[in-house]
Amino acid sequence: MTTSTTSTTGTNTVADLDERRSGTSTPRFLLGKIGGALASLVLVVVLGFLLFRMIPGDPVATMTRDRPTSPQQLADLRERLGIDKPLWQQFVDYFGGLLRGDLGESYSFSRPVATMIGERLWPTILLVGTATVLAVILGLWLGVRAAWRRNSTFDRVQTGIALTLWSVPQFWLGLILLIATQGLFPSRGMRSPDAPEHFFGQALDIAWHLTLPCLTLLAVIYAQYMLVMRSSLLEEMGAEYLTTARAKGLRDDLVRRRHAVPNALLPTVTLVFLQFGMVVSGTVTVEAVFSWPGLGQLTYQALRGPDLPLLQGVFIVLAGSVILMNLLAEVLYRVLDPRVRAT
Amino acid sequence: MLFSRLRRVRAAFAALAVPLLMPVAFAQPAQAQSDNSGVLRVALVQEIDHLNPFTASFASSTMVGRFAWEFLTLPSAEDATPTGGIAESWEPSPDGLTWTFKIRPGMKWSDDQPITADDAAFTFNRIMDDEKAAEANGSYVENFESVTAPDESTLVIKIKERQASMTALDVPIVPEHIWSDIEDMADPRTDSVEVVGVGSGPFLITEYRPNELVRLKANPGYWRGKSKVEELQFLKFDNSEAAVNALQNGEVDFVNRLTQAQFDTLKNADDIETNQANGRRYRELLMNPGAQNIERQPIGDGHPALRDVRVRKAIAKAIDPQVLVDRVLGGYGELPGGLVPPIYDNFHYTPADDVKYTFDPDAAKRELDAAGYREGPGGIRVGPDGRKLEFRLTARSSEDYGQRATDYIAGWLKDVGIGVKKNLVSDNEVDETTSSGHYDLALSGWGTNPDPDYILAKQTCASLPASSGSSSSNAFFCDEEYDRLYAQQAAETDEAKRGEFAREAQARYYDQVPSLVLDYDNALEAYRSDRFTNFQRQPVEDGQIMEQTGYWGFYNAEPVAGGGDSGGGLSAGAWVGIGAGALVIVAGAATVLLRRRASTEDRE
Amino acid sequence: MTSPVWQRRRAAAATLWQEFSRNKGGLIGLGFLVVVVVLAALAPVITDESGLDVITATGTPLQPPSWEYLLGTDVDGRSVLLLTFWGARVSLLVGFAATVLSVFIGTLVGITAAHFGGWLSAVLLRFTDFFLVLPSLVLAIALSSVLPKGIATIILAVGVTSWPATARLVRAQTLTIESRPYIERAKALGGGHAHIVGKHVLPAVLPLVLANTTLVVGSSIIAESTLSFLGLGDPTAVSWGSMLQTALGSGSVTAGAWWYLLPPGLAIVVIVLSFTLVGRALETVLNPRLKGDR
Repeated sequence: MTTSTTSTTGTNTVADLDERRSGTSTPRFLLGKIGGALASLVLVVVLGFLLFRMIPGDPVATMTRDRPTSPQQLADLRERLGIDKPLWQQFVDYFGGLLRGDLGESYSFSRPVATMIGERLWPTILLVGTATVLAVILGLWLGVRAAWRRNSTFDRVQTGIALTLWSVPQFWLGLILLIATQGLFPSRGMRSPDAPEHFFGQALDIAWHLTLPCLTLLAVIYAQYMLVMRSSLLEEMGAEYLTTARAKGLRDDLVRRRHAVPNALLPTVTLVFLQFGMVVSGTVTVEAVFSWPGLGQLTYQALRGPDLPLLQGVFIVLAGSVILMNLLAEVLYRVLDPRVRAT
Repeated sequence: MLFSRLRRVRAAFAALAVPLLMPVAFAQPAQAQSDNSGVLRVALVQEIDHLNPFTASFASSTMVGRFAWEFLTLPSAEDATPTGGIAESWEPSPDGLTWTFKIRPGMKWSDDQPITADDAAFTFNRIMDDEKAAEANGSYVENFESVTAPDESTLVIKIKERQASMTALDVPIVPEHIWSDIEDMADPRTDSVEVVGVGSGPFLITEYRPNELVRLKANPGYWRGKSKVEELQFLKFDNSEAAVNALQNGEVDFVNRLTQAQFDTLKNADDIETNQANGRRYRELLMNPGAQNIERQPIGDGHPALRDVRVRKAIAKAIDPQVLVDRVLGGYGELPGGLVPPIYDNFHYTPADDVKYTFDPDAAKRELDAAGYREGPGGIRVGPDGRKLEFRLTARSSEDYGQRATDYIAGWLKDVGIGVKKNLVSDNEVDETTSSGHYDLALSGWGTNPDPDYILAKQTCASLPASSGSSSSNAFFCDEEYDRLYAQQAAETDEAKRGEFAREAQARYYDQVPSLVLDYDNALEAYRSDRFTNFQRQPVEDGQIMEQTGYWGFYNAEPVAGGGDSGGGLSAGAWVGIGAGALVIVAGAATVLLRRRASTEDRE
Repeated sequence: MTSPVWQRRRAAAATLWQEFSRNKGGLIGLGFLVVVVVLAALAPVITDESGLDVITATGTPLQPPSWEYLLGTDVDGRSVLLLTFWGARVSLLVGFAATVLSVFIGTLVGITAAHFGGWLSAVLLRFTDFFLVLPSLVLAIALSSVLPKGIATIILAVGVTSWPATARLVRAQTLTIESRPYIERAKALGGGHAHIVGKHVLPAVLPLVLANTTLVVGSSIIAESTLSFLGLGDPTAVSWGSMLQTALGSGSVTAGAWWYLLPPGLAIVVIVLSFTLVGRALETVLNPRLKGDR
């Protein structure tokens, strides 16, 4: 969904992580987590396969629509796609292919799904990466300020803005931005056809195209970081050691920078990885609005047929990457948290 | 270790402003340098699947192919009658089973190799022998016995049965010396410029970035003469709203497949011309007349009442195509008659007034009453067999037309006592349910070609499916009278007489209404008139420019003198806007930094 | 025996309301919600449903706002105001129903995992974690393309994909409560699973679930609009999401029909924001960890 269903204050995410701060040794912890992630991945593959086989419809009829086709061509096509075989055979073939990095062939493009996903991976990483980095920076900065000046006008206004943007459907925001900035930014794609040859010029061209989609994504996701940073900082500030630090005569500013902020940063930074799934969902609609040639756009295109192998491939890749990110979050939390490291 | 992070965060935030500023500083000279006056940029809303002409099946991909490779013969721009391409002249044998094409002398591929009859023979033979090569154009060679090249300038095609459409083979002829090396037609290499870059058409493919662009340059050695359009770019858009936006901003020069609302807006825009063309597509309401397979076994689960032609006729009278055209299509469609659209004059059927279905709910009610379908509880009629007159109406949820027209049709039918359950599903599912007979009513539609054979053949008994789901039939129509007229049409080589038979066949179809044609969509296009002019329509008076059966539209276009610099870059206003935006960010960041320092100092 | 308990609960509710009413944002949100829900419920009474029928629509298509049509007309000449009005019903219905489904699954799984422990807990936890990491939009897309189009499908797709967060929250809360001495005592006195869960755990968990619920409703409404935008919505019902999709699909956006694009979008923002504000306020009131920092 565009918004995740976790609480906006992020407390339960933090609570989750608290729970995981168990006393097991590091190698055992790592093995367990990696094993769990692998199990999830296999589940994703099985689920993806079964789910998409249930979609009604005859892909062959759609593929050949609007052009002269003979029954022989139809039969050949079915055979080539392997959809004339029994389901279990299809699954064995699919799983075998998957291990070799083969995700099957797209119905509508008759190209290997793995290649198509490969082409789309970098644009999405660029978009999601840029938006996430900016959202974290903006969110942390605003969150710290809001927490430090709790209940000030700044706090109220910023929290209000963040919550409002958080409530906006992403595709709608994208459309509004597109119309409101009519002509200021390119309305499609990642590169202009006449982009300059040299590297620097191309980078600028891409940055220029990136502005609107990135802004749309940023607007909706930074709220999470800001609110979590704010609430965890408030929590830290209530802690005893800060009072002690202040009692020792340290300046407020220093107390904040040296003690409160670093500790509060932890849950926020790990949140980056935990929220990755939501960001990925967001890219589907944002890329569709701005014709950004990434995985989200590919999902949108795959939906139209629907192009099952493509949809299935995208599902596995997106879910897989979220699983990976969550694994990273857990490992990172353990490595970073001084309380865990101490044990 | 972590405490210095915030400071870094702040530094990074300030750095944010830099990329926003940079385009102003650097991009402007870069943009100004490129003179793109001869570059025609066309928005593509459809995908490209392949450039390889043997596997390219999407309408947009075949369109690109039409620019790159010359045909044997092709429909002329004037009236879509056959005109020479690679073939200079052609002649059928008296029995109509052997066609001899004379190849135009002196033609060359873009790599200077001569174009000979061997290239054409190779192309057709490859499609006939290689299953993978038949993907896009296999149907054209189905009736072929053999294709040979007795000498360099003669091509002989022997066919199994008489066929009138031999001069409308929409198959790009490819160079044998390039393509004979290709073992596997599915090899990704076949989409690369080194393979598809060698052509004979008005434009040559020079760059392909999947999902982004296809770039073609004018072919200097083209036999009709080099196009005045230096370069042709097809740019991929995901939604037509963005494409229209780009046209208004001067980022592209040509957009097609516009919706009515978009077309209306662009009509009044400065520097933009619109073209409302008679289209090649018809829309229809399928009414399951009792789906059956080729052995005449019933298949599917269509409502039995629809097998009654009186019910189908009553439905035809309860629907008002005029309102659908006016409201759902915004007036951009032609009122219906037969299956072949009016753009193909010779084959188009217009019903006479006494046989025409005119919107008349009362007549529809009377006829249903007379046929024994009496009004039952809840205002829904009940048939003599006791079954309610309640139909599913299947349509594509992906289409604006499907979503909206179903509302109207359901409303009208309810008025005459027929219940309708809307069933909006994916394209795949619509195709499956209609081709396997699992529908009552369904919205469908087909694109037609200058030669009507294919669309008419779809309505014959021979097209009924061998097994459920493998149908090439359109509406499960099977009628002796129709088949007789169709066969006469197919065997007739005299154009005028053939047209007469084709119209009679359609009249029979119209009378039996296995489907009711609802309209012929106009093709709505728009282009930057400050950049290009003289686009050639096909047919000349009211035809479309893009997606023709040929390359005339863009080939004959000319750049407007002095209109070159408007595109590609940004308007002056836009630059001011970016500059102002960047300034605000920098100023904001600066203020924050300064205030911060000040407050820190205060505390110290 | 029930009456003092009931009195105690009523007193607790009163305190709760008092604390809640001190939160201005929450109050405003609640106000908006009440107004919108009442209006949506009364739509058949105060408006004429026949205005939704395309055949009898009287306006010219895409007419800008005027006295006759306060928010203009859509592509079929229907009043946008009327559509927004009726769209609220579907959007709210989907929001609430999906939330009930999601919270039900979440609470069930959460309490079961915490209360019973052992292998069942391990399996449920693994299961929850699995669903938590699936990109929910992608899963919802898959589900709604598999099932027949309709409101029920959307509810199912949204509900089934948004429960894991609730499950984790409930589990954590249940664990905390079950570690308290009085539960130990109840267990020692021979209280069965049903007794402990029904009499002690559930009442203690419910307030937090309620706060969580209001947040889920908001995201469910956004989810509905997103699925509709992607063409997976219910084609027969007018919802805010389907309005936006038609506005886009029919090219009305280019035609400059801002009155067609803005109302459904703003309606979504207002209603989701209201739910979020109420949810946050409730959370602050109910969650002792957050007390005092609003």
